[in-house]
Amino acid sequence: MKINDVILQTATKLVLFVIILFSIHLFFAGHYYPGGGFIGGLMTAAAIVLLLLAFDLKTVAKILPFDFKKVTAIGLLFAVGTGAGALLFDAPFLTHAFTDAYLPLLGKTSLHTAVLFDIGVYLVVIGVTLTIIQTIGESE
Amino acid sequence: MTNLILLPILVPLLAGIILIFFTKNIHLQRWLSGISSLATVVVSAFVLLKVRQDGIQTLALSSWEAPFGITLVSDMLSALLVFMASIISFACLIYSFRSIGEQRERFYYYSIFQFLLVGVNGAFTTGDIFNLFVFFEVMLMSSYVLLVLGGTKIQLRESIKYILVNIISSALFVVAVGYLYSIVGTLNMAHISQRVSEINQPGIITVIAVLFLIVFGLKGAIFPLFFWLPGSYNAPPAPVMAIFGALLTKVGIYSIMRTFTLLFPHDTGYTHQILSVMAILTIITGAIGAIAYWDIKKIIIYNIIVAVGVIAFGISVMSYDSLAGSVFYLIHDMNIKAALFLLVGIMIKITGTSNLRKISGLIAHYPGLGWTYFLAALTVAGIPPLSGFIGKVILVRSGFEEGHYWGAAIVLMSSLLVLFSVMKIFINGFWGEPKDYPEGKKVPVNQLMIAPVLLVIFAIFYGLGIEAVQPYISQAAETLSNPDIYINAVLKE
Amino acid sequence: MLETVVQFALLCIAIAMLGLIYRLVKGPTVPDRVVALDALGINLIAVIALVSIILKTNAFLEIILLIGILAFIGTVAFSKYLEKGVIIERERNS
Repeated sequence: MKINDVILQTATKLVLFVIILFSIHLFFAGHYYPGGGFIGGLMTAAAIVLLLLAFDLKTVAKILPFDFKKVTAIGLLFAVGTGAGALLFDAPFLTHAFTDAYLPLLGKTSLHTAVLFDIGVYLVVIGVTLTIIQTIGESE
Repeated sequence: MTNLILLPILVPLLAGIILIFFTKNIHLQRWLSGISSLATVVVSAFVLLKVRQDGIQTLALSSWEAPFGITLVSDMLSALLVFMASIISFACLIYSFRSIGEQRERFYYYSIFQFLLVGVNGAFTTGDIFNLFVFFEVMLMSSYVLLVLGGTKIQLRESIKYILVNIISSALFVVAVGYLYSIVGTLNMAHISQRVSEINQPGIITVIAVLFLIVFGLKGAIFPLFFWLPGSYNAPPAPVMAIFGALLTKVGIYSIMRTFTLLFPHDTGYTHQILSVMAILTIITGAIGAIAYWDIKKIIIYNIIVAVGVIAFGISVMSYDSLAGSVFYLIHDMNIKAALFLLVGIMIKITGTSNLRKISGLIAHYPGLGWTYFLAALTVAGIPPLSGFIGKVILVRSGFEEGHYWGAAIVLMSSLLVLFSVMKIFINGFWGEPKDYPEGKKVPVNQLMIAPVLLVIFAIFYGLGIEAVQPYISQAAETLSNPDIYINAVLKE
Repeated sequence: MLETVVQFALLCIAIAMLGLIYRLVKGPTVPDRVVALDALGINLIAVIALVSIILKTNAFLEIILLIGILAFIGTVAFSKYLEKGVIIERERNS
């Protein structure tokens, strides 16, 4: 049976970017406020799930040609690598460093290696969530 | 090197992550995982020597000092167990190269194997009770995957039970940690120990201790809680079975050892009495199972339960000697059980069956296998001067000294029954008329033999070289029987 | 004054949610239940907004957005399931 879902698809094309922007906002808000890599990753995954709902597995695989298991691995590598970076300075594992810097456009910004760790968490969450959803979806 | 004690966790973790990228290239996977396992053995040996030289090593993760942050603590017991775990996983890995099969290798077998080692080493090293839970979960997640990987019918059936049991026990674990935290207000084990002795272990703490006993008893397969073990360990292929049997239950036992000597040592009349009764019943049921079965896998699996009981008995006696005996026996058992499982795996590969009644006369064509098994069987039963004997002697003597006559007598009796059960395999399986097996007479087993032979040689040296091993064991037992050493090392007072 | 109004509004929403829960449990058909779930999500958003007025904080505003998005995706998934029988298709035009 063919179903016309023009409304869903059009809405998705717009809403998708709003959700992804919001997820990025949540990700960076995690520095000082509630938020962070985990919830940001979940939001991004939610956006991709919306895409999967409106379109189908094949189209989404064409748009995002990643192996999500490898995304998980890259995320883990980021997180563990950030922790292991402390080994180079003979500091205990997971010790972080931060500094305040003047960046063009952004002005005074605090830079923290925890952000790198959080990117790892973000990628792991996206990777795991989408691996699970794709596996369930494919089993039909 | 500040982070030395972290390395046995970090090396397999990095290796496991990197291996995810190379699922297609099996040769590269084998090389990488082999190198990383070897590196883990080397760094854990360094940790062991360092602890022997300078005493307990601690590491405050993220530079948050104890008791506020998560602390890794490597005392002698942890260092010894991490070292053994690394050696055993290296042996099982070598064995896997030849036996696990391409199908599993393509589906993240090696990387999950490394993650399992991360969980085990982490659980041995951590000094934070909640972090212990986290590493338990890392270990259990990996074990779920290893158990189900391959997807045969028996594996799927058993893994449902296994996952259910472990999820329930993990939930109880978190509940117990929550209760403990609400009373003592800290998660650092040294700090908990200090607080518990300040308030002199009131009744509620004893209740929590029993809750912990149930949790770790479920993981470590103590008497009423071992029901899941024989079925689940029966399902996966030999190297996975070996690593489960040698490491996973021992993590549960290690946790009992740690919590009951460090956190709850004040009400021994109650908690340790329960543990003692449970331990004796564990030995009896394990021995009955080991004698009753004619399935070679099941026989060895029930022997694990016997060993768990023996070690738990040593903990329940709670004297310096009995703890030393427990530690000695724990290490001996990890080593020799891994070897036995691998040998049984080879037997099954040759004959295609695990039913002992259908196997006989293997020694005619496989003399090496037969004699290695014979040595391993003598070691596990505790024939002097091999290592099983020494552990049991220390345990039994301390049991008699402390007045636990029944327990000590049953430990002695269990040796006989264990000897009978493993010799049953030898007599029926290796002696007698050689039978024809579907695989033919000459299955190439030489490369498979490397790992169990290494482990058996290690076991023999462990028994004969007791003079050299003794200082390590007594250093471990000293920390266990005197928690103040541990507390002072962690909190640096 | 504002305080009273907000409290009255919270009471109204609570009664509305009770009605929705009744529909969710009783709901003779599945679409009834889906609509009730969606409306529950919207009511939850309203509750959070009112609570943040009472507490004079804007820390919860992101949570409003979060619940909005999740409720939206949930409703879309339900409706797609009702209409097509599958949630995620392998290929749309087959």
